[in-house]
Amino acid sequence: MTARAKEAAKPEPAVSVRGLNNRFGAQQIHEGLDLDLLTGEVLGVVGSSGSGKSVLLRSIVGLNRSRAGDVLVLGSDLFALRGRARKALLARIGVLFQSGALFSGLTVAENIALVLKTHTGLPAASIDRLARQKIDMAGLPQDSAAKLPAQLSGGMRTRAGLARALALDPEIVFLDEPTAGLDPIGAADFDRLIRELQQSLGLTVFMVTHDLNSLVAIADRIAVLVDRKIRVGPLDALLNDPHPWIQAYFHGPRAKAAHNAAGSGN
Amino acid sequence: MTEKSASSSGDRPPAWFDLEDGNRLRVGGIWRLAQVVQLSRRLERAGLSGREVQEVDASGLTALDSAGAQLLIRAAPSPDAITGIDERYRGLLRRVADAEAATGTLPRPGRPGGSVAQLALIGWRTVGVGIRIWELLGFVGLCTVATGKVLVRPWTLDGRATVHHLQTTGLNALPIVGLLAFLIGVVVAFMGALQLQKFSADIYTVDMVGIAMLRELGVLFAAIMVAGRSGSAFTAEIGAMSLNEEVDAMRTIGLDPIGMLAVPRIVALVIALPLLTVYADLVGLAGGAVVSLAVLDIGFPLFVERLSGAVDETAFLIGLAKAPFFAMAIAIVGCFEGFKVAGSAASVGRRTTTSVVEAIFAVILIDAAFAMALSWLNI
Repeated sequence: MTARAKEAAKPEPAVSVRGLNNRFGAQQIHEGLDLDLLTGEVLGVVGSSGSGKSVLLRSIVGLNRSRAGDVLVLGSDLFALRGRARKALLARIGVLFQSGALFSGLTVAENIALVLKTHTGLPAASIDRLARQKIDMAGLPQDSAAKLPAQLSGGMRTRAGLARALALDPEIVFLDEPTAGLDPIGAADFDRLIRELQQSLGLTVFMVTHDLNSLVAIADRIAVLVDRKIRVGPLDALLNDPHPWIQAYFHGPRAKAAHNAAGSGN
Repeated sequence: MTEKSASSSGDRPPAWFDLEDGNRLRVGGIWRLAQVVQLSRRLERAGLSGREVQEVDASGLTALDSAGAQLLIRAAPSPDAITGIDERYRGLLRRVADAEAATGTLPRPGRPGGSVAQLALIGWRTVGVGIRIWELLGFVGLCTVATGKVLVRPWTLDGRATVHHLQTTGLNALPIVGLLAFLIGVVVAFMGALQLQKFSADIYTVDMVGIAMLRELGVLFAAIMVAGRSGSAFTAEIGAMSLNEEVDAMRTIGLDPIGMLAVPRIVALVIALPLLTVYADLVGLAGGAVVSLAVLDIGFPLFVERLSGAVDETAFLIGLAKAPFFAMAIAIVGCFEGFKVAGSAASVGRRTTTSVVEAIFAVILIDAAFAMALSWLNI
């Protein structure tokens, strides 16, 4: 914790979004959105369906070109970079898409190895060793290395996607609803895994989620997407936010249950 | 330690190691993924392994990630022998050590080799072909039952889907089938004209074009085109639906996927291919007539007169009679392969390829069976 606090004191945020503007047709998604992802923190991003959580994530990782605004990832604009510089920056971030987005024709180990091959000149044996290490780190049994994504359960696919996202030891990991579709026990295990990896690997985590239990369990700060902008703060601060959606979200019966569970658990 | 890429801060390279007193390894600098290629090569060249090294002093490390930690642990006799590591990296080192303990002792998955394995592979493939034929026969049975039900109660047929498939497989195929048939007619007439002119038997070119197009080539090329165009489309459509669990959804709702997906396609193709055959016959004859006029100076009236003398309706009817059988083979193989799609996007591609190859193979097989049966019957 001390290391994280020390790093958080650094002025440079891992990701900084300023004045982001996204619009699809007549629908305004983001308007003048500002957000800082601080180095070493776990930021939980919530919002109603269609509020633009995934669009925000896609704007940051370079999949969606915004109409206006600046997005700096580790100090650089992904859309301004070309060629080798862009590739080097992409090696410093990892993305876990919803339900994994694994390459369906490749085994789990090959999925991870592909990332390592793309970015390093390591010999095959070293790549294989690192892929197996990542499989273990993501909490998968070793026999899943040779399996195809179709042979895995939904939860294991998510973990395999996480292993692929971690392949290059990225500084920032983006998670898009990692616990969606998992049973509560599996989701809690995944939360613990994220927390553990975040501490041992020193990760910065950007996590889009609907899961209140995840938020309470592992998020250092929570970002709420409301009215095309974002409100960020620790859980306690957001509990007192008067915005009706935030009130409904954090004071609903499910929120109370999650909070109570976390309170009695500690 | 002679190193070209020495860091700017000193004479040390970004990542370095020293062996002291023969068994104490001092490491330092940046041990990250980007340095691992070089480091592992240098460690290997130095002939270091966990056996000689008793202790690893990691107090000089300035940066470490999981790839570097893996290398460090592999150089040390045990993770406990790594001392002096920065507090920041202790958690990482412990986590990587756990991963190494879980993965390090695993035997490499060996690839079976040798002639026995080759023989076994041939055996498995043969069994696979047998299973495939068995399954295909089963599917033919299922389709026959489902189509039979529709024939008994025609109002249960999904009319919209059938008309849709009629349009995509029949109407939309007219331009390409027409072009192909015309060119085939031209080619056959040319070849005939060149050979028959030698015997001054030019006029028999008309007989040849007529019999070849009506009895064999019109229906055959229409079927091959439809197998490539529509059989593959059937496989890809049904395959994508299988991947998306739409077929499973139908089953849970109580819909019969074969009745829903296969029957309209089979019915549509059985109607469309005979119509395409008539069309291909006509356009093919037109191609022959054009060549006859241009090369042999046989005018259209003479062509038609000669044709009606040389070819009776039997040749045309034989060609037409094959069309529904070809259509059934193409549609059933296309749907069968579509339902067999499982797992991945690559499976759709593989099944589509198989579908076209098998459909064309089935068409030619049926054609050969017809030829033999007809010669036996002296028709």
